[in-house]
Amino acid sequence: MTSSKTIVLRSSDGATFEVDEAVALHSLMIKHRIETGGADSTTIDVPEVTGNTLSKVIEYCKKHVEAPNSDDLKSFDTDFVKVDQAVLCHLAKASYYMNIKGLLDLSSKTIADMFKGKTVEQIRETFHIKNDFTPEEEEELRKENSWNLFV
Amino acid sequence: MEDGGAGTSSSIAELSHDHLFSILLRLPLESILSFAMTCKKTITLTRSQTLWKSICARDWGQSTTTTTVNAAASSSSSLEVDWYLFYRRLRNLDRVSCFNLLTTTDDDDDDSSSPTPRASHSLNVLSDGCLVLFGGGCEGGRHLDDTWIAYTDKRRMANWQRVTSGVPSGRFGHSCVVIGSCLVLFAGINDSGIRQNDTWIAQQESSKTLSWRLLDVGPVAPPARGAHACCSIDNRRMLIHGGIGLSGTRLGDTWVLCLSENLCFGTWHETLSHPVPSPRSGHTLTCIGGSRTVLFGGRGMGYEVLNDIWYFDSSEEEWVQVLFELRNIPGGLSLARVGHSATLIPGGRVLIYGGEDSYRHRKDDFWLLDISQRRVWRRLKCEGYQPRSRSFHRASADESGCYLYVFGGMVDGILQPAEPAGLRFDGELFLVDLLV
Repeated sequence: MTSSKTIVLRSSDGATFEVDEAVALHSLMIKHRIETGGADSTTIDVPEVTGNTLSKVIEYCKKHVEAPNSDDLKSFDTDFVKVDQAVLCHLAKASYYMNIKGLLDLSSKTIADMFKGKTVEQIRETFHIKNDFTPEEEEELRKENSWNLFV
Repeated sequence: MEDGGAGTSSSIAELSHDHLFSILLRLPLESILSFAMTCKKTITLTRSQTLWKSICARDWGQSTTTTTVNAAASSSSSLEVDWYLFYRRLRNLDRVSCFNLLTTTDDDDDDSSSPTPRASHSLNVLSDGCLVLFGGGCEGGRHLDDTWIAYTDKRRMANWQRVTSGVPSGRFGHSCVVIGSCLVLFAGINDSGIRQNDTWIAQQESSKTLSWRLLDVGPVAPPARGAHACCSIDNRRMLIHGGIGLSGTRLGDTWVLCLSENLCFGTWHETLSHPVPSPRSGHTLTCIGGSRTVLFGGRGMGYEVLNDIWYFDSSEEEWVQVLFELRNIPGGLSLARVGHSATLIPGGRVLIYGGEDSYRHRKDDFWLLDISQRRVWRRLKCEGYQPRSRSFHRASADESGCYLYVFGGMVDGILQPAEPAGLRFDGELFLVDLLV
């Protein structure tokens, strides 16, 4: 019988989540905290991550720890990142902070794919970036940064 | 980055710089530049030296980046490398700069002379920057059998030392490539017109000695030849194509040599596929990475000078032709070459220099060939010292891939009453610098 020790994770906004230790250890940051924290580390604070994001991160870790060889893992991952850019960036940020390699790679690749083939204006739209250049500044910038087009 | 309106904020702004850089490193150059131009914050952020150093390592290789760091650290001005400018200059390479190297020899060496002027010799650069020269043909059609090494001082001076003579036997039109830490020499022709198919291997024993030994290749070896094309394709294998065979006819066969781990023996096998480049000699093979080796030019069976480009895929062991619309390239229609040199430079590109064209004119031009998706064939300007037009010279790059050493070749003679018109052998050593 595998141990059914559980860990409680507490998000920045006070939400708590009880997870199997094995699932929590999927985050190398939590693994390090537990290993250096002593016997009383049953509640771990994750102040950089909100409850909404943490809940999703836990969903990812559960799937990858409990069913790592399942046939639908690939499609799980694909659907998992079909979220809007804000949620995706929060997931990416959480995976970076919590050191979850699989999720970091998945989210980074998804964000990178959202840049490919897009113009400057399209990138602004996708990621809600405000254009703070004047038209003259933009034109100067375009001239100065089009050196990749040199043939 | 501020709110994009309608209360939605840019979450990408929340990522740490390191995290953002690791995402940008997955992107092609145009996407990185497009992202840079989205707002004031991104423009500043993407000018980071850390970011561009990583992009240089990604696109130019760790070797180029590391040797550049070392060179900057040891230079007298000790300026920090501007990685953004470094990347941009190499990416849009449009010129080279040449320097004639001052050569000296050891005073206590009996044969106190520099290597005889020669052509169709071999020239290689080992990983510690040591130049190795072997054999070749010289005045009177005689073959040479001497091995010379040289270390350069700040790439402005070279000190030649003769290392051995007689072994391997004298020859020209042989090939010699660096595989791992050793040199592998194959075939060639001697001044009695005898073509060989022996394989030799050499390792540096110290900074002043190099010794050659015959490599045991078993019963299977390619037919004897000279003026074939050859290059190493990884740490263990070497590729050859064509050349002029025993009966004086041009060959069109392809062979691969695999060295054993202990470098004590090797096995040759011929690759058979279709289509293949036509038989030829005086052409070049250059390994550009990603299992691809580029073949260019040469002289065909009807003595015509060729301009076709192929690459050999060493995982599939097959040839693929690469087509360029030469009409659309300035100077493109003159691009047939034989006896040119083709050297790998950063970014999986080939620097082609000199050679003879279809009208038996020796050339002095530099061309950049890129067969990646970008498909570039570009003539480069040459600044500084203008080397003489030459053919059957040899060129080899150092570890950074940004400095090429060129030695020898046949150059146009000076017409004077007493001198024979036309041809003469050259003995100068010069440097081609990509980082002008």
